[in-house]
This record gives sequence, structure tokens and C-alpha cells, in this order.
Amino acid sequence: MDAMTTPEERRDALAAPVVILVGHFGSGKSEIALNLALGFRAGGEDVSVVDLDVVKPYFRCRQAREELRAHGIRLVAPEGENAHADLPIILPAVRHLLQHGDGRVLLDVGGDPVGARALGSVSDAVDRSATEHLVVLNFSRPHTATVGEAVEMVRAIERAARLPVTGVISNTHLLSETTPEVVLDGLATAAQTAGRLRVPLVAAAAEGTTARALAGRALPCPLLVLTRLIKPPFEGTRQQRKVGPLFVLN
Amino acid sequence: MAKKLMKGCEAIGEAAVKAGCKLFFGYPITPQNEIPEYMAHRLPQVGGTFVQAESEVAASNMIYGAAGSGERVFTSSSSPGISLMQEGISYIAGSELPVVVVNIMRAGPGLGGILPSQSDYFQATKGGGHGDYRLLVLAPWSVQEAADLVQDAFDLADYYRNPVMVLGDGLIGQMMEPVEFKAERVPCKPLPPKTWAATGCGGDRPTNIINSLFLDPEVLERHNQKLKAKYDLMVRDEVRCTSYGTDRPYEVLIVAYGTVARVCSTALDDLREDGVGAALFRPITLFPFPYAELRAAAEKAAAVLVVELSTGQMIEDVRLALEGSRPIHFLGRQGGMLISPEAVSERVNAVRSGLPAEVRHG
Repeated sequence: MDAMTTPEERRDALAAPVVILVGHFGSGKSEIALNLALGFRAGGEDVSVVDLDVVKPYFRCRQAREELRAHGIRLVAPEGENAHADLPIILPAVRHLLQHGDGRVLLDVGGDPVGARALGSVSDAVDRSATEHLVVLNFSRPHTATVGEAVEMVRAIERAARLPVTGVISNTHLLSETTPEVVLDGLATAAQTAGRLRVPLVAAAAEGTTARALAGRALPCPLLVLTRLIKPPFEGTRQQRKVGPLFVLN
Repeated sequence: MAKKLMKGCEAIGEAAVKAGCKLFFGYPITPQNEIPEYMAHRLPQVGGTFVQAESEVAASNMIYGAAGSGERVFTSSSSPGISLMQEGISYIAGSELPVVVVNIMRAGPGLGGILPSQSDYFQATKGGGHGDYRLLVLAPWSVQEAADLVQDAFDLADYYRNPVMVLGDGLIGQMMEPVEFKAERVPCKPLPPKTWAATGCGGDRPTNIINSLFLDPEVLERHNQKLKAKYDLMVRDEVRCTSYGTDRPYEVLIVAYGTVARVCSTALDDLREDGVGAALFRPITLFPFPYAELRAAAEKAAAVLVVELSTGQMIEDVRLALEGSRPIHFLGRQGGMLISPEAVSERVNAVRSGLPAEVRHG
């Protein structure tokens, strides 16, 4: 499949009106979607987060419901007891947002080709001129450890989503054991993968401490600095748990 | 081998492969679907076989049959599915076959919900199926420990010719942490050849028969006593536990297992900052339960606080360990609700302030 636009037209892919995030489960889609949403909202924009994850029961954007509401970000996700269901529920608002927009829209899609199938059911509503369909890659994860495996995963996701991927976000990390080298090794592999896919490398994501260590380095793409929001209930210092968004299951 | 960022379910799957398991039989259920998914992807790469059974009842009988061949056999499920497997597990224990069963617990009873729970403690440790048998039960608190314990579970199952269960809550299955697999792993038990396996003897040796039916009561009693002797050996040799913060004086001893113990350890860090003396005792084997070790640790405390994602199940083993020697308090959440470090700290402080101990009937 060909990319939707040429690289020159897409220098700021993350700022597209609609950004769809796909990838292997656990690659960091929800984390990046939440960080982008909070960032855009801090800039005064009208932001919607669409939780299209119908395959993974835990650690989904919908579990940040209170956090998002507190920031004035619209969350589109099943409510009530259906919020906890592992059922293929796709709300009508998803199609509406894809067709008509309404401020900035971030779509967090379920992991792997099986998760992308939910996107495939609404892909006819995607306005390709206003949309970026980005794959998040963490080469520390199983099943996407090499360029070949990542390309294979992306092609399978594209088939399931019925939508070509338009860019790569490099997000290789090992959580608390991440070093700048881990990020840089992953970035090099992500760049090769982007080359094989013939799409641009849109951004390199890194959490605060690692991002600061990388600040002086020449990178082939912009650095997306993340604050880790998705955590199990025992992580983080007391201070972080009190002032930061502790994003857990309940 | 470089560290990988793995979900607990993926790490459990890879650990089984690393332990030489080539046979998986199971049926999908949330929140452990990533285990069968991983095995379906991975086993063909190592010459193994993945079979999705028509139900958990069938899966438990498939592992029963396959284990009879002496191959390393594995299944996983979550609470309602594990209930369905109890018949097969009882037969496997009765037939003295090694299998590894992983239960990633969700909230019950019945279909319950899909969020984390620890309400299958009784089922795992006191025998969910019928008859005088025990499972050796291992409870990890991190993804790395889940990977390590699953590999040990295969050795322990082979050594004792008994089913071994790795009991994790939903969080263990779903959360991601860095994991390392050692290139040259040494088995945790000596592993004699499986001369009992039904592999086809070709007339060269007496026939091996896999059986749990003993109609002669004297023979069955001898069989029961032989099994009991194995469980006694487990009690003597396989107790595993650890503690956190017991190197300093403590007024309150928390007892917790699995990820709940992680939450408690975070609470203890906070309490230490506040100058509060509290410590954590964490059983790693739930059967055999570390009764003596817990009793020794509790003797240095004024009171004990049991924390569980249930209405109180492990607390009964804590009562057996302490034999009334210390007041026992309980903090629990149910239904998939989690316990926060703040809730643990608050309860520890309440216990220190003279909160009356939990009164339990039955």
C-alpha cells in the first residue's frame, strides 16, 4: 500500500486533525494518545480521545476517564458496566468524529491486527486528507523484535484496518530500566522499518529522564517527551501518586 | 539474552517454552488470553503443538492424556475456567502426572467480572477437585518472578509427579515489566528419567499404566498414603517466602501475596518515611504455606494485618500459623477493585491506634 501523502506534506504528522494510533499490544499507543491529548488540551484545543480498544481488558484509555474529564478532554468509550467489557462495542460517535471532526481527535486502537479489525469497521468514514494513521513500535516487545517482524505486523494491521499506515512512532523502552541506548537502538530499527514501509519516521517517544539525556543528540525526527500515566497501583513515589495522574484499573 | 518488555501472560508463555514445554491445551478466557495466544504463535516455532480445546473440561483431560506420555504439558485459564478443570486436575493428581496449570484470577463467584482478584485461594490451596490431593501452588508478585516460577513449576511437577499451579491475579497477567531469561538455566530439582511414562514398551518392559481407579480399598488407601507422603515432602522441602522491611523493628506485620504484596511494599516505603515501624511477610508458596516462618516473623510484631483481593481466604492460614498468638486484622477489596498503597497505610495506622482485631466466625 502507498502512503496517503508524500513525506514533505507531513512534517507535523502528530498535529493532524485526526491521529489514529495502531501497533502491537503493549507498544505504547494508549500512553502516547493520553500524552498527546493532555498536551493539545494544555494548548487550549478541543480534544477527543476515542478508545477503540475492544481486545484488551486492562490498561485502556477509558480507565483514565476521571483524569480526562478533569482536564476537559472528551472520552469516547463505552460507559457503565460496558466500560469493563471485553466486547466489540463501537459507539456511533466514533464514525461521527472521523467524518466531521470536532477539534482534535485521537484514536487509540486495540493491539495487533485483531485489535485493528475494530478500526476496519469504521475505516470508510476516515477522511484521509485530515488523518494520520501511525504505527507505534517498541522493539523491546515480543513479536516485533526485528524490522522483518515489525513490517509483517504493520502489513497485517493495514489489512485488518483497511487503511494504510502513514508514519512510524519509535517508542522502544524498558519502562524503569530504559537507557538512552535502548531508545537509540530502537530508533535506528524504527528508521529502517519506516524505510521498508516507505513512510516517514514521525517521532521518537521517550519518558522525561531519558528524553533529557537525549536532548543533545542529533535525532532523525522530533522527540516526543512522555509522562508515564499508565501504571500499576504500586508504582510511583508518594508525591507522584498525590499530584500526578495515577492511572490504574479502577 | 537482552531484556524484553513483556506482559505477564507473554512471560508465562515464554517461560513454559524455555522450560521445554511443547504441548499446550486450553480454552480462551479473559484476562489470560495472551497466554494461549502466545503459545499458539510460539509453539510451532519450537516444534510443539497448540490445541484449542472445545472447553476447559476437555482441555484438562487433554493435559491428563498428554502428561501420561512424559512430555512437559501446560494449560492456563482464569477462575471460571479453572473451576471447569477441577475434574481433570483431580484425576491428574490421582494418576501422579506432572502438569503445570496457570490461573490468572478474575473476580467471582460465577462468571463474576474480568478484573483482578485473589478469590481462588481456597480452590488452589485446599483442593478444588475431589479426593485427598494437593497442588503445589506458587504465587508471583512480578512479571520476572512469574517467568521464573513457571520454569520452576515444570521441574517441581516432574519431581513430585503432581500438578503444580502458578496462581497470579489479573494484574500479573496484564501488566508489563522488563524480563530476562537466563541462557543456561539449572533445574530447581533433580530430574530422574520418566520410567513411568506410557510411551509404548514394544514388549521390552512391563506395561506402564496411567490410572486413578483403585477398586480395592486397601490398595486405594496405600495409594492415598503414598500421595500424602509426597505432600509431606513438599511441606518439608518446598516452602518459599520472603519479607520486606523486617530488618528494622516493626509494630505491624502485613501478610500479603502476589501484586497485593507489591502495593503493600509501596505503602511500607511511605510508612518508613513517616517513621512508622511496619513490615511485610510474603508467602511465595501458598501450598505449602510458610506457617513456621510467618509465626517467627509475627512474634516480633504487636499485630498482624492480612491484605487480600478477596473477602478473606489466606487469612485462615494466617490464623493457623499464629494460633491466636497475635491479633489479626484484615483489609480486602473484591469485585476487581484494587487496594491502593494509601489504603494500606491508613489501615496500618489504624491498627497501631488500637483498632479492634477482625472478628471472624466460622
